[in-house]
Amino acid sequence: MLQATEFNCSKAIKLLIGVLVFTLSGCGQNPKVISDSSSLVLNEPQITPSNRPAAQWRAINRLNYGPTTASLAAVQAAPSPVQWALAQLDAARVASQSAPKVPADMASINSSLPALFEGAQKERQSRAAVAAGTPINDAQPFNERFNFNVEPDPLYFNRTQVNKAVAWRLASCSNDEIEQPLLARMTEFWFNHFNIYQQKGTVRPFAGHYAIHVARAHALGKFEDLLMASAKHPAMLYYLDQWLSVSPQTNRTGQVVRGLNENYARELMELHTLGVQGGYSQNDVKELAKILTGWTISAKSDDGFQFVPRLHESGQKTLLGQAIPSSPRFIGEGEGVQALQLLARHPATAKRISQRLAEYFVADMPPPELVQHLTKVFINTEGDIYQVMSALIRSEAFWNSEQRLYRTPYDFVCGSLRLMQAGNDRAKWLQGVGYTFAAGQTIQNWQTPDGYSFDAATWMSPEALTRRIDFAFGIARNSREPLEVYPFLSESSLKAVYKQTPAQRMGFVLGSPEFIYK
Amino acid sequence: MQQQRRLTLKAAMSWGAFACSVPFLGAQTLSKTEPQSSGRLVLVFLRGAYDGLSMLVPHGDPHYALIRPNISIPKPDGTSQTALKLDDLFGLHPACASLLPLWQQGVLAAIPCAGSPDSSRSHFDAQYHWETGKPGSSSPSAGWMNVLSAMLDTAGAAGVSNANNVVSAIGVGESSPKILSGPHKIQLVGNGNSAMRAGSLAESKTRDAVLQLYASDTHLASAMLDGSSSRMKTAEMLKPQAATGMLAEQQAANNGAGAPQGLALDAKNLGTLMRQNRNLRLGFLSAGGWDTHINQGNVNGQLANNLQNLSRTLLQLREAFNEPHDVVVVASEFGRTSAENGTRGTDHGHGNVMWLMGNGVNGGKWHGRWDGLAKAQLNEGRDLPVHHDFRAVFSQALVNALGVTQLQTENLFQGARWDSGLNSLFKA
Repeated sequence: MLQATEFNCSKAIKLLIGVLVFTLSGCGQNPKVISDSSSLVLNEPQITPSNRPAAQWRAINRLNYGPTTASLAAVQAAPSPVQWALAQLDAARVASQSAPKVPADMASINSSLPALFEGAQKERQSRAAVAAGTPINDAQPFNERFNFNVEPDPLYFNRTQVNKAVAWRLASCSNDEIEQPLLARMTEFWFNHFNIYQQKGTVRPFAGHYAIHVARAHALGKFEDLLMASAKHPAMLYYLDQWLSVSPQTNRTGQVVRGLNENYARELMELHTLGVQGGYSQNDVKELAKILTGWTISAKSDDGFQFVPRLHESGQKTLLGQAIPSSPRFIGEGEGVQALQLLARHPATAKRISQRLAEYFVADMPPPELVQHLTKVFINTEGDIYQVMSALIRSEAFWNSEQRLYRTPYDFVCGSLRLMQAGNDRAKWLQGVGYTFAAGQTIQNWQTPDGYSFDAATWMSPEALTRRIDFAFGIARNSREPLEVYPFLSESSLKAVYKQTPAQRMGFVLGSPEFIYK
Repeated sequence: MQQQRRLTLKAAMSWGAFACSVPFLGAQTLSKTEPQSSGRLVLVFLRGAYDGLSMLVPHGDPHYALIRPNISIPKPDGTSQTALKLDDLFGLHPACASLLPLWQQGVLAAIPCAGSPDSSRSHFDAQYHWETGKPGSSSPSAGWMNVLSAMLDTAGAAGVSNANNVVSAIGVGESSPKILSGPHKIQLVGNGNSAMRAGSLAESKTRDAVLQLYASDTHLASAMLDGSSSRMKTAEMLKPQAATGMLAEQQAANNGAGAPQGLALDAKNLGTLMRQNRNLRLGFLSAGGWDTHINQGNVNGQLANNLQNLSRTLLQLREAFNEPHDVVVVASEFGRTSAENGTRGTDHGHGNVMWLMGNGVNGGKWHGRWDGLAKAQLNEGRDLPVHHDFRAVFSQALVNALGVTQLQTENLFQGARWDSGLNSLFKA
């Protein structure tokens, strides 16, 4: 045993000390990237025998939430970490195009939208029917949150939908039989980019459907399709109040009773597309709000959306200097489609999305050349997210060990569940939920449309680090010993791990610098 | 070398444990000889832009009810269904009834048209400007409370030790808010009851083991030690049985009201911690849920509920921060439209009402410029204008409450000018 330890230690030192070396190889070796021009190709990663394990560890922690025994073996068996990474991307795209494997007891989050509207309506009706003075038990015991074996009482339909949505996120980020692991990462990214708050009353029944049919379904497709799906989904229409924003309506006495609401129009430009420095004005916000009047929810249609011409503000609008509608055939719903296309194809949008992807997968402050490169790919491929991700994976920066990331609390929970192979152990999921709550990153629960931050400045504080260690020790109590990970730990980490009893070692691996950072 | 660093870290850790066992020593040595400048500043930041015109109700303005047909608060008639009269122009939202005595005692004041000189109506941009103290700039920058905490530290303005490691700022919530982040050490405590748990690292054996785990990463090692020491102290100080005379008094003053929850509980914990550790001079609390685009309500409704919670929070803070130079500030990143929008709510605006509470505050009145709600007086014809830069308001508070010099405030808030229009804010 001791012998083996020493062997592992020396291997680990090499691994840690050996900074990845990259050659300044040119662009010739890269036939798969489409629309190449020499200016588009950054230096390619060169994986050598000495840096290969570090590259494997890096890839599996960044493109997945971390290793499982099987996935670690797979990346080690792959011809190269880069090829493994690109294969992950292909697999994630294929998975995104097929239905998710939602566990049976959570499957109702993926019901049709009319069925979800109906469930919410039944909850309203059954609550209205409760006799006055009879209390409704809205305080659910924490431990029962993920117990879906009882037929949901119509009184608690919305709450159950939220709990199922959160359960599915935990199942899909931690279990490869349920979700392709890179697709789970992409789903988190896009949900957060187009954030909704699942506790807003009307949003509750739709949060899981939104994660599946907006964030997941378009995760590696065209950005424009993703934007459109988000714009028309009831969760977003409710969350940013678009469903209520209408051309000013007056009552019989001439008083305005309903009118414009700028909320969605503003966040659509500020957060979803152009970015706050993207060159729009308050007048553009107002014009976009007018363009989108009439976009609202439908409880009966398959996509939950309808355009209501009578609520639409007629007349010519100007958005970012462009006339909308550009021709009479776009009058009405087509105006919103034109506006979304204009925003999706805008260079400021390409830059913003590229920046955020690079922050999520590479570093809190990614190299500007990488962002420029991704921006060009985004523009040249008309916002093909798969191609942008492919360029990111092929970039030198992605593999450069100087670019560090600190796991967010959610990422840490998913990574821990994976390494422990927690499977369907819902007591452990609940521990994860408790930790994300204390840490301030409750799943799908950020109230404002900017979504959670991903940077170390937000999540790495002394008190938060100790809370993370508490969680690691607590959840890992009596779990298996993760021997397969030892070759990837530093000498000092391994030494500290071996000082523990085997039953305590998992907690120390989770708390190690190699797992806290990635 | 390695060995030596380990020892230093260990020494730091045992110091933390020692400090934890004698939590009240600092407070006692200070109490009698406080210099005039020994006040503390607590900022309650309402994220999402609260509707100031619903809290400080301009019932005497002829335009107010007209531009808010569904969401205005009726003129004072002496009942709890109307605004509570402060003067002929302004009233208080009835959900804030518990704050009326503070106004009448002259310890609560309002500035109706304050805010950021930058015109952004983006929550996130505007919050960044408020928290860095640099309106209009999105460049990376430390939070101004972090920078200020370093000034207090080295200036020793409170007469406390000015050793470099003194932590003088504390925030509630463990994800770092921008305003507190930067090079200087600050303290964070968990929300609500989580603050009372010291955690697994309270065991010295566990700390030693984790210290070994972080032997190759000094940053993680020192963060772990700082964090565990901070949480042990916090848990110790918040223990119910740690009740001093003051705490018992506070409990009596609670008058049988239910235990505070949410923001009010955070406020209570903040008060307890800042009373027991007198090095802490800056406190930060924040709460969301103020972005009322639809159905914000009027006398009742979602905004009224929020205002009631805010009032409870302020009462908690009043109990803890009632020394001569303590000051509590309430603010949001910007205001909301003066008129209601098409969905019985309000959209993003510009200027907003800021509140100051404290014994040194020239309370029972509002301060600064107010030109009314006529369209021509509004920013872009729709929002309250910003007549007073938020940085000028804080500068007044820093000079009057914390003993910071005017020159220091100019260094802290570069580009902001001293606003003599606010010289009446504090009692002479």
